[in-house]
Amino acid sequence: MNKRMGRRNFLKFSSAGIASTLLGSSGLISWSPRAQAATINQIFYITEGYITQPDGVDVYFKGFSTDTNSLTVPGAQLIAQEGDTVNITINNTLGTDHNFVIDGVVDSGVIAGGSSKTISFTVNKAGSYLYYDGLNAPYNRLVGLHGALAVMPSGSSNELYAGSATFVQQYSWVTNDIDPVWHDEIRLGRTPGTTFTPYYFTINGRSMRVPGHPDYANPDIDSGYALDTRLEGSIGDRTLVRILNAGQCMHSVHFHANHVEWLARNGQARADVWKKDTLLLPNNKGSLDVIYPYEIPPDSWPQVTTGSFPMHFHDEMTQTAGGGLYQFGLATTIAFK
Amino acid sequence: MFNIDKAVPMMGMGGGGGGGGGACYTYPDAPATPGEVTPDVTFDRGIYMNGSITMDDGVSIEIWGFTDGGGGMGGGGMGGGGNQFPSPAMRVTEGQVVHTNLSVNGMMWLHTIHHHGIEPSQENDGVGHYSFDVDGTYTYQWKASHAGTYFYHCHTNTVLHAEMGMYGGLIIDPPEGPGTLHSGGPTYDVEAIWACDEIDSSWHNKNWDAGTCGGDEGFNSLNPDYFIITGVDGAQSALTNPAVAVTMNRGQKLLVRYICAGYLPQRINFGGLTATIHISDGRVLPNPVQVTEIEASSAERYDCIFEPTEAGVYEVSCDFLDWVTGAVVGTARTRITVN
Repeated sequence: MNKRMGRRNFLKFSSAGIASTLLGSSGLISWSPRAQAATINQIFYITEGYITQPDGVDVYFKGFSTDTNSLTVPGAQLIAQEGDTVNITINNTLGTDHNFVIDGVVDSGVIAGGSSKTISFTVNKAGSYLYYDGLNAPYNRLVGLHGALAVMPSGSSNELYAGSATFVQQYSWVTNDIDPVWHDEIRLGRTPGTTFTPYYFTINGRSMRVPGHPDYANPDIDSGYALDTRLEGSIGDRTLVRILNAGQCMHSVHFHANHVEWLARNGQARADVWKKDTLLLPNNKGSLDVIYPYEIPPDSWPQVTTGSFPMHFHDEMTQTAGGGLYQFGLATTIAFK
Repeated sequence: MFNIDKAVPMMGMGGGGGGGGGACYTYPDAPATPGEVTPDVTFDRGIYMNGSITMDDGVSIEIWGFTDGGGGMGGGGMGGGGNQFPSPAMRVTEGQVVHTNLSVNGMMWLHTIHHHGIEPSQENDGVGHYSFDVDGTYTYQWKASHAGTYFYHCHTNTVLHAEMGMYGGLIIDPPEGPGTLHSGGPTYDVEAIWACDEIDSSWHNKNWDAGTCGGDEGFNSLNPDYFIITGVDGAQSALTNPAVAVTMNRGQKLLVRYICAGYLPQRINFGGLTATIHISDGRVLPNPVQVTEIEASSAERYDCIFEPTEAGVYEVSCDFLDWVTGAVVGTARTRITVN
């Protein structure tokens, strides 16, 4: 393992790459419902490399990438509808064993280093799913081998599940907590022996930048501007946000300017929809599905219809990078246009 | 409207809260409030950076907070409100237009007020990097639209400032006034505010701008050694301190406004009593929910009605949970005594 890794330079990335044919130009998950089930095809290449964190430190990751020369963390956002057949070909370009798992849906079995495998499965239940590498658990998942799959109700373009509250646009956020010591142990093929201590916090692979920083507003780097994280809408643009926690920490998700409608946690639809400004996000593949309603901020006076506000985690350790740098953590912007 | 792209980051200004240092990525300003009107109610808040609380083991821990009265010079009690911890509560009535005047001596440090759960315009939301960190006096203008429990806290270098204690309660009463939780909702005879929080004393000796320019201040890892309820040590004092512990009679209704004021997840157990949750995060639930304990995450609020029928002493425990393992890392306790 080490020998192989010594022979090549790792790919290095300024931040995680957006790479999904399933994303529209806006970064929204685009979707047109169908009357008939269809077949969805996706090819992944398991690759490795370094991603530069907000404090300038390069941290090792692996990803379900879109080609051999990229590193995509998280992997491409996938979307299908109930009844669809999903074919995924995974090319493992590394020397280590990996797999592809969606809990309750599919397990590829071992994909040995240097080999490829195509798996086929049917998605039967609408909702939000994390796909991930379940080998060497939890390390392969934490080091970047994860991504989001959205399954739409059959024939529907505007519901989380049949009969749910409706939306007009949707996003997926995959969150992660990064302990660079663990990542380096994984790079070396060793099992981390230290207590997990997250040092960086990401949403769809990125962290926040703020005015005055050279990377502020760079959508490739700044999670406040990245197309797949930043919420943009006008009054009435009800927005489904699928939040999937690939990391090991429980978190507190806090939305500014509007309460969200809380539809589901860990894939379980809630009988009563509560309106919340802050919600507990369970760890280790936990999830939340919420609708951000894009209503006039109810306590604004005079009332306003435009503005920019944060979504950030309220366990404020997540708002830092490298033990400091408040504002460079797990957050994004909610823009009222 | 306000354009964040025009904000000027402040680099290398003088530090405070112990002196030295230089801030990065702060945005000092104190503009006029857009669309300012005559308010129905006004709160004046200043800053103190030299408070302390004494824990049950005799250890004194530095605390920062907001004063009542607008003393902005950093001295203790200049505004007449003293160094209260938590900071003095705000209580308003649904429908009121509120002014929160925050005065900060920007030569010494920067702060904001974010009214958590209140959803005003961008300028009045109190998040430094989306508007400004107050340098001088700014009037936050907002309208209280939904009855329930909120809290306010500083949103400058928040990871440190909220941990240092810069928060206070915020209650919106329905038009019926205190004694009714929300219009059409339950009444109550006795009221308690339990803001459960953890303290990592190793963070309580830093400058106000610690970490803003980089460097490892340990802010990624909170390792608390004290656990408090509404500013009172939950090891022993909160069991009997009348500001926290509840004494009531059978036949009375108790409202507990529970605020998860720390960073770690919490699990509060009501010692055998059943709570009926009517409101969470300032929004009435479609159907009230009966529980014997609540698992909450940072900054959630739950408004709970108790109607005990049996006399007794009920010990309430709030466990603070490791964010990775879920293990209990500490517990704060208080009591409900029913006569």
